[in-house]
Amino acid sequence: MPTPSSRYLRTAFVVGLFVILCIGGFTYKHISELSQTSKVVKDNYSLRSELELIISNLKDAEIGHRGFLLTHDSLFLNPYKESLQKITNNLSKLDTLIVPKGEQVEKLKELKGDIAQRFKNFDKSFSLANDDDTLLTQDLLFLLHEGEIRMDRIRADINEMLDLEQRLLTHNQEINEEKIGLTPLLFYGLLIVTLVILLLAYVKMTTDLKALKESNTELEIFEKLTKQSEVVSNTSTWVWYIEENVFEFSDNLYRLVGEEPQSFEPTLENFYKYVHEEDINNLGQQVNMMMREEELPFTTYRVVHKDGTIRYLKAYSKLMDDTEGDKKMFGVTIDITSEVENYRIIEQRNQELERTNKELSAFNYVASHDLQEPLRKIQTFMSRLETKEKDHISESGQLYIQRMKSASARMRMLIEDLLQYSRTNTSEKEYVKTNINMLLEHAKTELLDSIEEKQAKIICDGLPTMEVISFQIQQLFINLISNSLKYSKEGVPPIIEITHEEVRSRDVDEINKSLYKFHHKITFKDNGIGFEQIYAEKIFLLFNRLHGKSEYSGTGIGLAICKKIVENHKGIIIADGKPNVGATFTIYLPFLK
Amino acid sequence: MNSDYINIALADDDEDDRLFFTEAFEELKIKSKVLLFKDGIELMEYLNDSANTLPNLLFLDLNMPKKSGLECLKDIKATKRLSDMAIAIYSTSASEEDIENTFVKGANVYIKKPNDFEKLKKVLSEVVTTNWQYHTSGLNKDNFLLRL
Repeated sequence: MPTPSSRYLRTAFVVGLFVILCIGGFTYKHISELSQTSKVVKDNYSLRSELELIISNLKDAEIGHRGFLLTHDSLFLNPYKESLQKITNNLSKLDTLIVPKGEQVEKLKELKGDIAQRFKNFDKSFSLANDDDTLLTQDLLFLLHEGEIRMDRIRADINEMLDLEQRLLTHNQEINEEKIGLTPLLFYGLLIVTLVILLLAYVKMTTDLKALKESNTELEIFEKLTKQSEVVSNTSTWVWYIEENVFEFSDNLYRLVGEEPQSFEPTLENFYKYVHEEDINNLGQQVNMMMREEELPFTTYRVVHKDGTIRYLKAYSKLMDDTEGDKKMFGVTIDITSEVENYRIIEQRNQELERTNKELSAFNYVASHDLQEPLRKIQTFMSRLETKEKDHISESGQLYIQRMKSASARMRMLIEDLLQYSRTNTSEKEYVKTNINMLLEHAKTELLDSIEEKQAKIICDGLPTMEVISFQIQQLFINLISNSLKYSKEGVPPIIEITHEEVRSRDVDEINKSLYKFHHKITFKDNGIGFEQIYAEKIFLLFNRLHGKSEYSGTGIGLAICKKIVENHKGIIIADGKPNVGATFTIYLPFLK
Repeated sequence: MNSDYINIALADDDEDDRLFFTEAFEELKIKSKVLLFKDGIELMEYLNDSANTLPNLLFLDLNMPKKSGLECLKDIKATKRLSDMAIAIYSTSASEEDIENTFVKGANVYIKKPNDFEKLKKVLSEVVTTNWQYHTSGLNKDNFLLRL
């Protein structure tokens, strides 16, 4: 496809050529016309001079004739004869000079006739003069008269002819002037047109050249950038002209196989020298497939550098037909060694993590089974001592037994809570649609003894159905309720109010940056001993306790478990406390689905 | 089978637990004969010998060397002669996984070993006095774990 610019140039060239040809044609025509005209003018002048010569020659003849008549000396006959000869020449010249058809022909005939008469007259007078020596006889006089008249007529003829010729010349000149007068204007006009076309072509070519230069510079910059980016990003490009089986490798492709740019001939065979021997077959198959399928997903293979380093390369290519129908394959080859290495590291870390997780669950089992077993036995033996051997133990001994019992009970609690905490950490997170009211009921059943003991009242206005890890939420409720029961005011029956509402995340400061649009807000409010607000965050930390062990039993794990559970559900838990008034725990759980 | 005595078997590798177990039955004054096995292999050898009297109730610890309680349970339920025997799982742990597995495999009740001798006596008398032949029909996962 010709570009608009080249089409423009072609048009300009054709028009210019046409104009120049026109100018040439016109010039030729006009010059030939001019030469024609000048010939006519020249002929005209020759004709005039011939005519004038005829008169002068006639006069010469007459002078010779008169001289002879007067003297009878034949000497005078010589100029006469010469003149006669000259006139004959003049007349034959005139024949060639006059325009073949036209008035002049008639006139010339008349002239010729008159001249012939004149010479006849001469001849007569000569013969008379020869016959008779007497001077100027009657006949001779008559002849002289007649000659004079003839002469006049000849003069008249010649004048007429001159006039006519003058008229013809003037007429000719008028016509030529008309024609030639336009010529310079035409030439000038054509010249201007040619100049304008030339100028336009020049301007167009300059702008095109400028644009070309600019795009050339851009191309150069682009090429440099591409080369640079190839080096930085460890990528390379190549082109395969399939028909000619010719390759073009970018500089960086050489570097990717550990060579200097353009250090070997870019052919498939040369390139295969660097491919890892285990990958050659596969790569060859891929290359063959590429030519059939036109487009293929990434192919990964290894190359071996001269120093033995192995690098992983990934190639992608696309087959393209250009406008001339030549098949070309464009390819990109990337060094992915660091990716592969990173992937390996990640895989290794994953394996390590898996192993650690397995170790952790093994530890859980040890803690739950092996650690609890001796403890259980200690407790059971103590209960045996307490009942079976009661009579044999002193009072202080029995006190010691009581202390041992409470210590081992505490140890059991610690183990169980720690176990609970580590179970909360498990990676298995299955969110199941669950009626939360049921989980609360289960929690209440679990805590039935202490609820009855403390005469606690739990008020709940109804909870929703949510996507949760149910055993964890149940644990959360158990921990929060038992927390409220534990830290209740002496002699005041605990009242725990549980409320629920749905909130828009952006309306609540604590969660307005959440990814979820809506949250469930569940509040546990009690009338217990409360706490100073400054401890609001501390109470959720593992093993953190606000009270001495003797005042309130506790492991400092319960609320840490709560926090963990809420975090497992992508929510947050906030504590608000006021000493001697009560504590409020607010839980925000997002709508997970 | 002597109908005056109730035949009880315990398979547990822990010596102390076997001691508590026998002492508890002594104090309970239930007419019973207690058979003790140190591991799963010993237990299965006894059960598979058709000359031996089968226990009315088998207490099975889960964590035992050589052959675990779960494996024993599987073998017992796979043997026609033994499959009607009432089985109580008697274990230190009460993990969800263990409870689920033993329930599915056909154990009748799951007892978590108590840490108090009095509680142990209470649990054992409860289990022994339950008529498992009738109880089986109402068995479900929620009351499988014995709570006292």
